[in-house]
Formats: sequence, structure tokens, C-alpha cells
Amino acid sequence: MSIIEFKNVTFRYESDDEGVVLAPAVKDFSLSIGEGEFMAILGHNGSGKSTLAKLANGLLLPESGEVIVDGMDTKNEDDDIKIKQTVGVVFQNPDNQIVATIVEEDVAFGPENLGIEPAEIRRRVDESLKLVGMYKYKNHEPHKLSGGQKQRVAIAGIIAMEPRCIILDEPTAMLDPEGRRDVMNAIKRLNRELGITVVFITHYMEEACEADRIVVMDDSRLLLDGTPKEVFADTEKIRSIGLDVPQTCVLAKMLKNDGINLKNDLLSIDELVENIDDLLKGQ
Amino acid sequence: MIKDITIGQYFPMGSVIHRLDPRTKLLFTIVFIVTVFLANNFISLFFCLLFSIVIIGLSKIPVKTVIKGLKPILLIIIITSILQIAYVDSGIVLVDVWKIKITSGGILTAVFMALRISLLIVMSTMLTYTTSPTSLTNGLDRMFAPLKKIGIDFHTVTMIMTIALRFIPTLIEEVDKIMSAQKSRGASFDQGNLMKRAKALIPLFIPLLFNSIRRAYELANAMTCRCYNGGVGKTTMNALKFSSRDYMSILVMAGLIGGIVVLNIFCGEYNAEFTFNLAI
Repeated sequence: MSIIEFKNVTFRYESDDEGVVLAPAVKDFSLSIGEGEFMAILGHNGSGKSTLAKLANGLLLPESGEVIVDGMDTKNEDDDIKIKQTVGVVFQNPDNQIVATIVEEDVAFGPENLGIEPAEIRRRVDESLKLVGMYKYKNHEPHKLSGGQKQRVAIAGIIAMEPRCIILDEPTAMLDPEGRRDVMNAIKRLNRELGITVVFITHYMEEACEADRIVVMDDSRLLLDGTPKEVFADTEKIRSIGLDVPQTCVLAKMLKNDGINLKNDLLSIDELVENIDDLLKGQ
Repeated sequence: MIKDITIGQYFPMGSVIHRLDPRTKLLFTIVFIVTVFLANNFISLFFCLLFSIVIIGLSKIPVKTVIKGLKPILLIIIITSILQIAYVDSGIVLVDVWKIKITSGGILTAVFMALRISLLIVMSTMLTYTTSPTSLTNGLDRMFAPLKKIGIDFHTVTMIMTIALRFIPTLIEEVDKIMSAQKSRGASFDQGNLMKRAKALIPLFIPLLFNSIRRAYELANAMTCRCYNGGVGKTTMNALKFSSRDYMSILVMAGLIGGIVVLNIFCGEYNAEFTFNLAI
């Protein structure tokens, strides 16, 4: 069963200048995201991938077509709160998502808005902070944390609302490698341990490879949709739209072009090493 | 230089004062301010001083920190004192050279005013020193919640305060960053006359303002994603509760204000000549 469904969605932003009509940010886009999936959305700047995140929980409403969240149309205002509780969105800059001056109070912000009992809020806050590994910082001030820590607090703030799906819009773009790894691990745990649907918008290939399904956006449209192996097998197409291909894929492709008989769907370094090792043994 | 700003600075010492309900402390501060204004003679004011010393002692906040809080208003105290000395003409004439005439009454009034202003500032800063910004806004939120019945939505005000407090450190960091960026391109912020310096701040404030608007937009999105709808049906994780400590403090407050009123009646209104004679 799908939790979010885009049906022929078109959306365009309004221009600041009167009378100017901008090109659509998302054009005739259809996609079905299944419950429990771990999906990555790839695309270079301006391909429309961030707009998708805002369309998915009703922050933006489509110009034509419809977005259905768990059977509810995002255009229906009565379901607005329920939709936002079902689909949580984490944005790129952690600084601009944290509301309170103490970590645990910020995590409590969502559940408080939903009018949940204080004891239950406490339980959710503690659990969410433990899940992202920030429990021991619960009494800290957010501005004293590193970028990666702040982003994990922002994620905890969304988890505390107990959503069924989380959309993360380039959550690692402003982080250092260590912060990026911590955030990535927290996201993987959400999907594997809690079964939350994760939609992960990124332009880092290595991160996208962690997902079960990759959707590639180009020029406001869906270009490719498949498992990481299927998507990266098409090296030329990925490159033609200005995206990088994981280095293992590039190396495998070069070796193949030189007549070495490697498999088609190599993604991780281990797989490549193993395959080369097998070939050498076979000789 | 920018890092010296102490607005809403909080020192978590975990003292008795820290554990009081923020509403009690807010009320306490208001009562103290009223009391200081009521105190119209040196003896009453001396009791207020004694009282604030006890509070500072109980709070475990270092005296040095408290005194440092007076720094920003030092200029105001000095100007007020000079004006008092220059204009009050009563008591014994101490200096009388050319147009300058200093009287004992002038000096005593100056001391009185300086002490009064210092007490007001010290106790107001004590409120922020011993109360975390969140608990302070929580207290204000709860205290003024009944205003909703007459159409004043105080929740919006406290939300704005929380966000302002939350973003002060972020914006200070940003100012530092922009300053470094401009300096690296040859801008100077501390040279030239006043006009030049003011002009040098324009390339600092325009990007700051621009970024703040962008931040506000993103924050609004993030808050909407977390089901914020203006505080309708909102609950609080750490609900405020009055304890016996708070009821005791209210008794102390009543005692303070009553005591000062009685002292005022006994000692009469402040009179420079009278006090001076008393001092001798």
C-alpha cells in the first residue's frame, strides 16, 4: 500500500514580478511511495526535488494533479494537521528548524502542538532523543551543538510526532563528514528499526546508494526509477544530466570497456573487489 | 565585543532561587521594583539593599557577575548623579567656586538615586540570571493566559520572545561571519569618524537583514511541519506547579512591601538635611 502518491502533479512558483509566469518546478510528475520504503531522490540543483518534499505534506499545493497522503488529499484543509503528522519533513539548515532554547523542549514542540498529555510527551521526547543518539544532550542549548548534532535534534523533533513517513530534504548538505555519517546512521535506524518510510533527498551518490530505491529527477520530471544497481548501471544517462556516478561504477565501466568481463551491477567497493578476485582466480 | 551582550543570560546554579516557579520570580521582581520606588528614605532603601544581598547570597551567583551586570547602565548612573549634584541645593555648602555649587544635599540625593537605580537593575538581572529563558517565557505564557478571554493573545508574544531568544546567538554568529567576510575584502569597521563607521555598517546589516528574512521563512515552514497552529489546544511537557517554596516567597514579598511602608511612616520622607544631620 502506498503512503504518498503523486498523481500527474504540476506545480509552479509565483514570480515576484507581476505578469511573469515561471516555468513549472514540477511537471506532470507521478510517483507512488510504498509504506516502509527507504527511497532516495536524486537530482541536481533546480531539478524540482525540494519542491517535491513541500508538496508531499501540503506545505505547497499542486497547480494540477493531486497528492494523496494515506488516502487524504493535501488540498483538503480539514486533514491538514493529520497530513503533517503523518508525513514529517526535515530541512537542510538545522539552525532554521529549531524553535526552543533547550534541546528537549524543542523536541517536545511538535507533540505539544498536537495537544498530547505531558507524561506521553516526556516518553516520546526521551525515546526520540535516544534513537538519534542525542539523549545525553537533552538539557543543552542548541546553538552550542555541532551541525550534525543539531540536525539529529531536528530529526528527533519530527520523530516525536510519531509520523509514518519522514522526508529529509538534503539533511546532510551543510554538515562535515562526521556529522553526515551520524545523521545517515540515525536515518537508517528509523527505517530498519521503526519501519518508518524514509524519503531521502540528496545529491551525494554514496548516500543515495544506501537506499532501496532511487528516483532521479531532471528538469522537473522523473527521469529514472529503480534500485541503486539498476539506476547506476546507466552511467551515461546519469552523467548527461550533470550528476556524478559512484566511483566504483566508473572504475567497473572503464575496466569493462577494456575488455574485462565484470558484472553489470557493481556498486560497493567490496562487490567490485570480490568480482575482480573471482576473475583472477578463474584465470 | 558582540559576545559581551548579556540579554537573557542564565547561570544554572540549581539554588533555591533557581527552583522557584518563574511566575513567583516575575511577581517578586515586580514587587521589588515597586518597593524600591516606595522606599523614600535611606533606612528603607538600606533594607531593600540588605534584602537583595540575601537574595544574591541564596542564588549562589558570584557577586562579581552581578556587579558586572551594572556595567551597561554605568553611564546613566553617572549622568544622573552629576545632574543631582548640580541641581539640588540644600544642606551644607561644600564647594562654591565660580558657577559650581556642591551641597551635602546634592551629594546625598545623588547617592540615593544611584543606589535606587542599581538596586532596580541588579534585581531585574537576577531574574534572568536565575531563570532559564524558556521557563521565563513559560511563566509569562501562563501568567497572561487569562487575557485571552478579553481578546489579547499573549501566547503569540511569548512565542516571539522564545524565537528571539533562540536566534540571538545564531545571529551574533552570523554577524561575526559577515564581518570577517567583509574584513577579508578590505572593509574596516573601527576606523574613521562616526559617519564613516556608520556607513561601514551598511554592508554588515543588509546581508544580515536579508538572511534573517530567509531564516524566518524557513522557520515558518519548519514550524508548520510540526503542526504549529498558533497555540490552539497546545499542551506543555513541563507543566508549571506552585510548591510550598513559592507560597513562602509570596509571604516574604508581602512582608517586604509591608515593612517598607511601615519604615516610611516612621522615618518620614527623604529629606537631605535631616539625613545629613542624622549621619553626623
